[in-house]
Parts: sequence; structure tokens; C-alpha cells
Amino acid sequence: MCSSDKELLLDLLVMQSTEAISDKENSELQRLIKEYPEYKNYEFDEIASLAHMSYHLDDNRSHVLMPSELKSKILNSHKRIDSLSLYRLKINAFMRSLFDQPTYAWAITALLVMGISFSMIEFKNYNSDFRYLPLERVLLQSTSNDLVEYPWYSKKSDFAMTKGDIVWSNKSQKGFIKISGMPVNDPSKNQYQIWIIDPLKYKQPVDGGVFNVNVTDQDIIIPINPKLPILNAKGFAITLEQPGGVVVSSQELILTAPEIRPSSTFTL
Amino acid sequence: MASLAINQSNYLSKSMTGSIKTQKIEDSILFSLAKEEVGAFEKLVDQYGNLIWSIARRYLSNQTEAEDAVQEVFIAIWKSAGRFDPNKASEITFVSMIARRRLIDHVRKIYRHKKLEPIDNCFDDDALQTKSILDQSTDVKIISEAINQFAEEDKELLSLSIYQGYSHSEISKLMNIPLGTVKTKLRRNLIKLREIFNQDQHSIVSINNV
Repeated sequence: MCSSDKELLLDLLVMQSTEAISDKENSELQRLIKEYPEYKNYEFDEIASLAHMSYHLDDNRSHVLMPSELKSKILNSHKRIDSLSLYRLKINAFMRSLFDQPTYAWAITALLVMGISFSMIEFKNYNSDFRYLPLERVLLQSTSNDLVEYPWYSKKSDFAMTKGDIVWSNKSQKGFIKISGMPVNDPSKNQYQIWIIDPLKYKQPVDGGVFNVNVTDQDIIIPINPKLPILNAKGFAITLEQPGGVVVSSQELILTAPEIRPSSTFTL
Repeated sequence: MASLAINQSNYLSKSMTGSIKTQKIEDSILFSLAKEEVGAFEKLVDQYGNLIWSIARRYLSNQTEAEDAVQEVFIAIWKSAGRFDPNKASEITFVSMIARRRLIDHVRKIYRHKKLEPIDNCFDDDALQTKSILDQSTDVKIISEAINQFAEEDKELLSLSIYQGYSHSEISKLMNIPLGTVKTKLRRNLIKLREIFNQDQHSIVSINNV
């Protein structure tokens, strides 16, 4: 450890709190924080925020009004999320109260078995209503305590303009990809396929469903539809496959999240 | 910074009688939010909506991106409300920290540098509302006073970086000074501000304990 390392660490911490640092800078920062445990991530966030507020107050030109449409949008989204959370809590409480009585437990188990059978029939229609996907994504983000979130990294030059991220919860077995700038595909010739890497449970990546891209200039949200239960997702990838997708891919990776994964965990 | 000039005796009496730092937690919107009180989220948006929107416009020139980011910021505040501790930071500092962090992350995600756009198209007297929120915050006043003591070049440099959102290399070109100097000055000034802030916090605690 030398003083120049410490100065570099402080510079990177200042950068972290004042601008968008690159992944390389972030890796270097995390390495140095391990060497100097007396410093922590976002060390300068509080003082930078206070200074920001100070300049903000002094600048009359900074006082802009939030558009009223945006305000309504935020309040409406919150109401919907709030009522969905409330609904979920009420259902959970109701289910718990029923299972307190053994007589009902068997009856509910039987009903659940029947329900699962019917839901298997409906499974293929899982993606039928896209209107609520942004809301479902936000709900997953706001209610999951095991959420993983990665940006997509392009592996092919044709997809250099593709941007977006992925959110996934192992507990909920649910996730969404958000993507823009992806080339439109011809569904009669090929479809994009999502892969989930769960190296502790499966040697091969798990099929996460197929999707089509109709627009490139705006964000699209696609639910991940794992064909097998996921224990601990370590990475995600997208390939271009024949219509309907494949069980094991031999195609090149188009996008991955995160950028680098142990090659032993992914045999595509 | 005429609007921020602080009368020393007022400042002391305010500190002694209870500033935001000594505000009762029950009075805070974040506390109401954490308790899921009806109308708390609406109050949060009313109180901090304009402030967060104006910060977002500093980082994101694209209206749609700024709107998406502001929605994410409010969800993040909602999720984090239970972690708010008025003994560690004032409510406005807590809110602005989350906003800045989320917005910087947002910029990182979309891999682009912000370009400042004129934001003089929606002035309003409601700005006074934001100002009154800020005026209540003693910790912001401490920092404002400290910045006022800095040399002009340091003030400008801090403003360009922290407030206007320019990257260090952009500042180097704008101010025509080496990148290394930008980094060193920013680092020194932020460390200095933090030392002053921590010292003043200790003296406020001492005064309050008398």
C-alpha cells in the first residue's frame, strides 16, 4: 500500500459521488476499498448532496416545477403498487389464517393441486397481457429483498446499440428484461431466446423463453419465463434461435448480463 | 449567496431550539411513509417533487429519461423511508442523497454524458416553497457558509462538478486546468467541507446538550 494508492482511492470515491464512473474505474475502486477498509463506498455522497443543495438554493434558475402529468403518473403508479402490495398482504394473511385450522388445510391443498393443473394449461398464455409489464416490473423491484439487477452487455457489433437491464428474484422465480435498440427479428425465421445460468443446479443454461422485437427506438419489457425452477441465477444471456427456441443452444451469444462470468458455468 | 447569509445569533438559537437535525422523527414525512400512513406518499411528492425534478434535469437532458428516473427515485425513497434517521441526516439531505445516487446510476446505465439544457422555461413563484424547505435545514446552511469561504475558482469547480454535473475531464477543458488539478482540488475541497461539517455537527450537539 502506498500513498498514491490512497490518493487514487479518494479520487475514485469523489468521482463515484459526482459523476458516472466506468466499470473499469468501479472495479479499481472496489479493489482499493478492500485494501483500505477504513473507507467505504459512497463516502462522499452525503457531503456532495449537501453541497448540491447549497448551490441549488443559491440558483434561482434551478427552481423548476415538476410537470403536473408526471406528478399524476407517479401518484397513480404508487396507488397501483400500493394496492397490489396490500392485496398480496391480505391474501397472505388470509391463507395463514386458513392453514391455522388443519381441517381446511387438506381442502386447500386439494384445490391448489387442481389450480396448478389448470394453470399449467394456461401457462402458454403467460405473456398475453403486456400492458401491466412495466407495473409488474416495478412491483418486483419494490417488493423483492433478493433482487439482482444487471445491465446488458453486447457481445456482437450488430448489437452495440442495444441497451437495457435485467431484474430477477430467485425467491419469486420471476424477472424482467428491459431492452432498447435491439434489431427487429422476423418471427417466421428466428426468435430471441433468454438463458438463465444457474451453475449450482444445472450444467446447461436454462431456457428463459423466447421473444420477438418489433420496435428498436423504445424500451420493451419482456418477462422471463424459466422452464425449470431456478435456485440461484448467476447470469443471463440472449441468443438468436430458430422459431420457438431450442433446448441447448449452439448459437453465438448476443447479450450477456453481467459482462463476465466464469466460462465453466456457461457452455453455450 | 446573499439569500443564504446567516445571522449568527439566529443560527445558534435555531440550533439550540431544535433544527432539522433535532427534529422529532414523528414530524417527518419519511417516518409517516415508513408507517404507511394514508397520504404520506402524496405529501412526499408535494414537498420534494420540484426539488427532485430540478436535480434530474441537471443530469438528464432528455425529458422522457428524466421522467423515468424521477419515478425510480420516488420508488427508491419509498422503499428506503424506514432507514431514515434524523440524528444522522436531515430529511432533505436523505432525500437528495437518494436522488443523486439514483440519477448518477441512471446516467451510468445509459452510458451517456449529460448536456446541460437551459431550464429557464418554467420559473414560478412556487420556487419559494423549495427555498423554505431548504431554509429549515441547518446542515445545508453549514455547508453554504463553508463554500462561501472558498476561493472563487474552488467554488466554480465545485459548482461545475457537483451541481451542474460536468465530468472531471469536461471541467478540465472548461476551466483550462489539468485534469489532475481538477481531481486534487475536488478531493481536497470535499474533504475540507466534510471536516467543517463534522466539526459544526459536534458543536451543535454540544450546544444542544448544555
